[in-house]
Amino acid sequence: MATAETSIQEPDYVNSPPTLQVRDLVVSFKVENDFPRAVDGISFDLYPNEVLGIVGESGSGKSVTSLAIMRLIPDPPGKIAEGSIKLRGQELLDISYEEMRDVRGNEIAMIFQEPMTALNPVFTVGMQVMETIRTHENVSKDEARKRAIEMLTRVGIPDAAKRLKEYPHQFSGGMRQRAMIAMALVCHPKILIADEPTTALDVTTQAQILDLMLELKQKEEGASIILITHDLAVVAETCHRVVVMYGGKVQEVATVEKLFARPLHPYTKGLLASLPSTHEKKDRLYTIPGNVPSILQMPEGCRFCTRCSEVIDRCHTEEPKLHDIGNGRKVRCHLLEEGING
Amino acid sequence: MTSYFIRRLLLIIPTFLGVTIIAFGITRFLPGGPVEREIMRMRMATASEGVGGGGAGSVLDPTSEMTEAAKKEIEKAFGFDKPIHVAYWDWLKRVCVLDFGTSYNFQEPVWNMIIDRFHISLIFGSLGFLGAYLVSIPLGIFKALRHGSYFDFGSSAIVFIGYSIPGWALGVLLLTFLATDRFADILPLGDIKTGSYQNLPQIIKDIEQDNVIYDDTGTLIWEKMSFTSKLIDRIYHMILPVFCYMMGSFASLTILTKNSLMENLGQDYVRTAFAKGLAPRRVIFVHTLRNSLIPLATGLGHALGYIMAGSYLIEMVFNIDGIGYLGFTSILQRDYTVVMGILSLNVMLTLFGNIFSDILYAVIDPRIRFE
Repeated sequence: MATAETSIQEPDYVNSPPTLQVRDLVVSFKVENDFPRAVDGISFDLYPNEVLGIVGESGSGKSVTSLAIMRLIPDPPGKIAEGSIKLRGQELLDISYEEMRDVRGNEIAMIFQEPMTALNPVFTVGMQVMETIRTHENVSKDEARKRAIEMLTRVGIPDAAKRLKEYPHQFSGGMRQRAMIAMALVCHPKILIADEPTTALDVTTQAQILDLMLELKQKEEGASIILITHDLAVVAETCHRVVVMYGGKVQEVATVEKLFARPLHPYTKGLLASLPSTHEKKDRLYTIPGNVPSILQMPEGCRFCTRCSEVIDRCHTEEPKLHDIGNGRKVRCHLLEEGING
Repeated sequence: MTSYFIRRLLLIIPTFLGVTIIAFGITRFLPGGPVEREIMRMRMATASEGVGGGGAGSVLDPTSEMTEAAKKEIEKAFGFDKPIHVAYWDWLKRVCVLDFGTSYNFQEPVWNMIIDRFHISLIFGSLGFLGAYLVSIPLGIFKALRHGSYFDFGSSAIVFIGYSIPGWALGVLLLTFLATDRFADILPLGDIKTGSYQNLPQIIKDIEQDNVIYDDTGTLIWEKMSFTSKLIDRIYHMILPVFCYMMGSFASLTILTKNSLMENLGQDYVRTAFAKGLAPRRVIFVHTLRNSLIPLATGLGHALGYIMAGSYLIEMVFNIDGIGYLGFTSILQRDYTVVMGILSLNVMLTLFGNIFSDILYAVIDPRIRFE
């Protein structure tokens, strides 16, 4: 449902190769003598011009996935144990640290949840934007300043030439997130990873920031966005496709239209049911019972079996496969084989 | 901001009055004050001269208490005859024109005594402080970056030992082993320069081989020595005391640097900096360090007061004739004009140091704005 009226650049799943290919990615964290997996064998593709949503509750492994793509997993204790991350065919896990630095902020940029703390408090906003430019491009200080002012103006910061000299604490939350976006996009990256970019903002600002991100993506040929969120309403407004994660595994992959029209995985159903609806008036919103288990206490069999409303015996013993049911749609659930849901 | 600092400057006045009034009151009411000491001294003198001594004992009836008139006379000499508020007012008026009175014991203007010793304490204190910063900050950074390594544990052990031993106690220990023949007699026992030719370190004797730099008694004639010799001799006397000064703040500064850096390395803005593609060196030494040093830099403002107040025991151990040593002996000898003089100086240094700290804060951390 990506804003159809403005979108001149839609993803082409058939003819263009994916910008980013993640295959069987495993990220483990050392806890005492154990190496539990926060991300356990996830795979997905990101196509040019696409906005891909990664959805899940806290602790489902979505942020770890995004940090792994940037190779920013704190090591120790974390480690990318297995898998492959390819950027336009180039394996990111094999390149040197220096080569990876060229990718960060230049080809793949990232913005974070907390604009309050994500900027360095003792440097001016301008310095922090200019720093990104001067890290990746050999330009003069004046040139970098010009570019920074231009970029800050583009993200909707009024009087950018003056505000360039201000410190983050002099910016409001929304303005700071705009500055973060300016910092991320100033080198024209092909992929923007937005990790809960609007969670810390108030509702009106949220919409503005999302619109801004989409608008800037449209102006950039072939650029795509990975939007990490727990908010399905945000996904519905912005994304083309969605990856639903739970317990470090992909549970369902679908286009936004199909996912909202007919969710297949009980977890996705639960997430959708917990959205407020405009059609029926409910006193209380639905909640999925229980919490995401810690990675140290993942159940055997299906990871969701402890909280699933449609659980069957098999779920407790046998891990379901990720079934490809055509049209790029994938679901990890036994019910599909049992024919109950198929 | 300016109004804040003006207010802070004005607040110095009541604080100064408060501290000095309390101290002045204590000098009045503490037993064993100068009047009593003088009476005691005279009584001892009379007693040793014997009853038949006559003359000097005339103010004193050897068999009974001192006559009231004589006692009044002594009180007057020390300015103790007036009521306390009048005496304090007199003292304050003189302080305003930097007249701190005359030392009871040395019969010398207190101001001159302070001026003569101030630079000595200042040099030792600031060298120690500077040394502590120069060692602690790199060490703290290194420990933070190698957190949990053998180097980190090993240096922590040294830091905790340093933290547990007061500077003056370490001084005694070092003197015992490095300045006596118990282990190695390679450093001087104290003072700030060598007194006699015999005690000169060999290296200076070698430099000055043909020069006659001592008189008949073997006492050094300082003026005849070359600049290099003087410098070497000064440094030679500074090694141990400056080391002890350093140890005083070394431990807490190191741990403060380490903790502050580690705390900042976990902050979101560090992740942002890495995500921008910055080199680790730039992330650590530009982004993180700048934030980590905020608590350390502000400590510099307190240094002045600390240098004075923290030094008296170390100056005692190393027989350095500085402000701390003077203050300490003055208290023991109830030389109250000197005590009050040094106290006033310390109060002013501490108060101005605090304001200086606030200014540093505002300069380093853009978030700080005093209203």
